Amino acid sequence: MTMRNSNNKFSRGDYFLWAFAVIILVLLFQSGFFTAEAWQDFGRRFYQNFVYQERYMMLVNGLRSTIFMTSFATLIGLVVGVIVSVIRVAHEGGVHIPVLNAIANCYVAALRGTPVMVQLLIWNFTVFASARDLNTQYIAILAFGLNSGAYIAEIFRGGIGSIDRGQMEAARSLGLSYGTSMRFVILPQAIRNVIPMLFNEFIVLLKETSVAGYIGIDDLTRAGQNIQALTMEHSQPLLMVALIYLVIVMFLSSLVRRLEKYLSRSKRG
Amino acid sequence: MIIEVENLKKSFGELNVLNGITTGINKGERIAVIGPSGSGKSTFLRCINRMEELTSGIIKFNGEDITSQDCDINLIRRHIGMVFQHFYLFPHLTVQQNITLAPVQLKIMSQNEALDKAKYLLERVGLADKLNEWPDKLSGGQKQRVAIARAMAMNPEVLLFDEPTSALDPEMIGEVLDVMKELANSGMTMYLVTHEMGFAKEVADRILFINQGEIYEEGTPSEVFDNPKKPRTIEFLSKVLRR
Repeated sequence: MTMRNSNNKFSRGDYFLWAFAVIILVLLFQSGFFTAEAWQDFGRRFYQNFVYQERYMMLVNGLRSTIFMTSFATLIGLVVGVIVSVIRVAHEGGVHIPVLNAIANCYVAALRGTPVMVQLLIWNFTVFASARDLNTQYIAILAFGLNSGAYIAEIFRGGIGSIDRGQMEAARSLGLSYGTSMRFVILPQAIRNVIPMLFNEFIVLLKETSVAGYIGIDDLTRAGQNIQALTMEHSQPLLMVALIYLVIVMFLSSLVRRLEKYLSRSKRG
Repeated sequence: MIIEVENLKKSFGELNVLNGITTGINKGERIAVIGPSGSGKSTFLRCINRMEELTSGIIKFNGEDITSQDCDINLIRRHIGMVFQHFYLFPHLTVQQNITLAPVQLKIMSQNEALDKAKYLLERVGLADKLNEWPDKLSGGQKQRVAIARAMAMNPEVLLFDEPTSALDPEMIGEVLDVMKELANSGMTMYLVTHEMGFAKEVADRILFINQGEIYEEGTPSEVFDNPKKPRTIEFLSKVLRR
């Protein structure tokens, strides 16, 4: 599609171009771009930072770790989020589950009310303090997963709330139980409505995992810092890390926009 | 009697919607419920299958008190179909899946039996060609006919119609009324809340005129429509029949 969206000043492609241009300009300016000497210096440092001893592999492995953590944390978040939201919605809908509902409410309040980094540190240094054999990546996945579960629960609650209550009534009027109606009538529609928001949650999480380095995980951010430590170079590694995040996030955002367009077009009323 | 209602009261907070309704319906009987807006006629209908929890009173289905604690309302609802003003087809399911969902999930029919039933019912409501269509591809009248088929798939003993034509374009009303007439002629027991006075007069055995949460006047269509006795009924009918 080459048609421009009249609401936006720039098309998607323009945004990409501008973002690249800005990043590259920053890179160039801080290296004193305009002298031949600076050019050589830039090249030499680039070589030192990314090429020498295959240091780019540190970034590749870091990215792999970031994506690995983000993906599995999102999966955990999805499962936990659906369960928690269904508990809360069912409670509001008159199903008698006060204890479960209280637990769900505490969970959402606690995990949304504290910084994810504090949660990560607590999981690592308090809850699993004695489990030193455990791969810290799994601890991070758990921490990020449960954190995003609280947010996804709210997303789902909104999604379920957006379904006309007549849908539940129609299902119940046929003799279906609350649970069966929820599973076959309400949830499929709610999930469909919140798919774009779930992708956004994935994008948010991708960025949030950048604090994983605090418990010693060599994620993408930490990989940049590791290169810094090796080369005593402060700008290029982190700018490169930022560039990688930016490209991935912009790519995923464009997918979300496309998905939204598709879902709204084929929405069935 | 299939359904007996004894002194049914319903209030929403301070607002008393139903102030003690006692009535019932016999097998094969067709009762039209009419009355001004806000009189409680829809609430009355929705209390019958406990879509609305009643405040007090007793409702019996085939002699069983369905308002008691021991009663599993899901089992009762299998036998009481309901058709809504706004259809409420399941938009993520095809016509066929809309109809077969409940009988299959409740293990009343196998998938194949339910499919045969769906085909038969769609034939009956004149939509045999819409078996695999999505609800959003249907007109309002077609949606409502599918909704009727969906309710019929459970082989209900009673059908509750809650203003089934009120949300339809005028030119769609006829096709839905035709289907309902066919059901009525086949001996279906029906409660019908409606503003279609002509249809009520033609199809119903008995008319309930509900006003301010009470059965204000009742009788055969000719009694109520042609010789209304009470002032509010006369006033109401003179307004709606003049059109």
